[in-house]
Amino acid sequence: MGRIQLDHLTKRFGETVAVEDVTIDTEDGEFLILVGPSGCGKSTTLRMIAGLERPTDGDLYIDGDHMNYRVPQNRDIAMVFQDYALYPHMTVRENIRFGLEEEAGYTAAEMDDQVDATAADLGIVDLLDRKPGELSGGQQQRVALGRAIVRDPEVFLMDEPLANLDAKLRSQMRTELQQLQADLDVTTVYVTHNQTEAMTMGDRLAVLNDGRLQQVGEPLTLYHEPANQFVAGFIGEPMMNFLHGYADDETFIGSGLEYPFDDRLADAVGDTDELVLGVRPEAIDVRRADDATGEREPGSHEFRMQVAVSETHGDQNVVSMTVDDEETDHDTLRAVTDGMHVVTQGDSVVVTIDPDTIHVFDGETGETLCNRLLETKPEFTAVSSN
Amino acid sequence: MSQSTSRSPIDVESLVENFNYRRVGKYALVVLFLGFFLVPLETGIMTALKTNSAIARSLPFAPPAGEGFTLTNLEYAFSQLTNSFVNSLLMAVPATLLNVLLASMAAYGLTMVSWRGQLVVFALFLVGVFVPYQAVLVPLAQFWNNMFPLAQMLEPLFAAIPFLQGGHSRLVPLTITHVAYGIPICTVLFRSYYKSLPNSLVEAAKIDGASITKIYRRIVLPLSLPMFGVVFIYQFTQIYNEFLFSFTLITGANHPAAPVTLILPAIGSSTEGIDFGVRMSAAFLAALPTIILYVAFAEQFAKGLRTESG
Repeated sequence: MGRIQLDHLTKRFGETVAVEDVTIDTEDGEFLILVGPSGCGKSTTLRMIAGLERPTDGDLYIDGDHMNYRVPQNRDIAMVFQDYALYPHMTVRENIRFGLEEEAGYTAAEMDDQVDATAADLGIVDLLDRKPGELSGGQQQRVALGRAIVRDPEVFLMDEPLANLDAKLRSQMRTELQQLQADLDVTTVYVTHNQTEAMTMGDRLAVLNDGRLQQVGEPLTLYHEPANQFVAGFIGEPMMNFLHGYADDETFIGSGLEYPFDDRLADAVGDTDELVLGVRPEAIDVRRADDATGEREPGSHEFRMQVAVSETHGDQNVVSMTVDDEETDHDTLRAVTDGMHVVTQGDSVVVTIDPDTIHVFDGETGETLCNRLLETKPEFTAVSSN
Repeated sequence: MSQSTSRSPIDVESLVENFNYRRVGKYALVVLFLGFFLVPLETGIMTALKTNSAIARSLPFAPPAGEGFTLTNLEYAFSQLTNSFVNSLLMAVPATLLNVLLASMAAYGLTMVSWRGQLVVFALFLVGVFVPYQAVLVPLAQFWNNMFPLAQMLEPLFAAIPFLQGGHSRLVPLTITHVAYGIPICTVLFRSYYKSLPNSLVEAAKIDGASITKIYRRIVLPLSLPMFGVVFIYQFTQIYNEFLFSFTLITGANHPAAPVTLILPAIGSSTEGIDFGVRMSAAFLAALPTIILYVAFAEQFAKGLRTESG
């Protein structure tokens, strides 16, 4: 079936490098997500797999066959576009049927049956005789999916298919797409800039930035063991906190705060000067300074901070804090606290950061020097392998 | 007045005055232009409906009164133009249809299919838009008369068709000439329309496995129907009203294949002078087909354009 291999794939438009030296190997039936900010080359990569762009360099294989020079119709792929690209002058039935007409070995009756069966699967039988212009965004999305599914391709390519839907419909379609992909068991490459979509849907994620592949891996691997500062910042919502500073005698000196290293961190840092400390908002412990313990002198991994903004989400609160002094802009620290644990703007708080939860990045290259410790690691592998 | 000015710091009076001057100026200009365009037309229609003596005695733009009113001018002009109407339509309709179809294909190939050197070819099309007709008349006549006398070859064939004469074969080279010279501008029009179509439609069709010709036939052609309407109206008017090519290839008003534009200059003039009534009648009759086309279809096409894009 459809195993996709990208081998040092590069695409240049004139002087501009859109995709540089990307190597990814998917497994059969895998749901691979290409994720990254706008302009990172993820769509170009997808379009190269589709055959809409020709790679400047490198090789592309689908199912072991070299694809660089093959036109899209000979690649046995189907694609869902961001704007759905439904043919506006055709009915839904004709839209879905269009791709089938080019496949060999179908009689007219078989094609109609196939269309009806696909429409039934997607729950769009009622819409078959309408034109795309009369459909809502979600319905158009289903038709676009139907058009891809009906041809039973080796590979599905999806270019931000949920980007034009409203939030509620998007999360619903997310689930449906996952189910569909699991049912069909077709290799799928899915492009998105939305890290939530990427985390929740993919078997594996490939994070791209500036045309370069940053890291490929399972969602939790990327979350807990990012290869560099970019991946650490991109994956996770709210974003990982970054504290910029330098190392001095086994202590991190940031703006307005000092953080002594333990042995693990000191080893990882070695003699790197410029550092970025990363810590996930959910790993930060916040308590009011006027709690009973607030009176004593803060410990070595505790800081007094002031709440700048507190966002209420119901199940949790996202609290932004800065170091409490009059000086210029310090790095803001965001923490996720329990929903019932309310702090308000201007509150003085004590922040505790466990050294085990700290990621350290090289301040110049952004490379990871060390990732957080995971006591729960065996547990998470057991769950994810189910 | 003094109260109001003392109350508010804004000088209301001068604002109103400025505003009025501007408005008066604007309306004066509008009326002037309206008269400039409409009076000649009105004069023409009135003249067409007057007897010769009424034309001589009354003001040109005054409506015909009493015995000065007549329809004989129109009747006469119509009888003179009947054959040429047929000739004109026989030439202009196929020429326009062919023209629009070929131009849309060319624009598709130049816009939505990518191949090496297409910009150079498109540049040639652009050059074609600016070729002045006067510059090509002599070579054109030589080509159709000496190098490739298509009209002569087809003459027996046309002689065999009922209601037509052998001479009508000259409409064929004229039609081909119009097609050739009309393609560049129509291609440019279509190209701009195709540029505005979402690229993903063609890409989706490619991935669906459609060939270049199928994409054109099933996707691009149906989607460009409103543009077909627009370009058809435009190009039909061009070809129908064209004089120089007709004059060069058909030669004169006496030829059986003469289209309307060749008959018009000759109509109503004789040794006794010019019969203005007949002239004006003929002119308005000749303009009728294009006017009908505009009135009947322009609104529909505009509507079509709006719904397709919205």
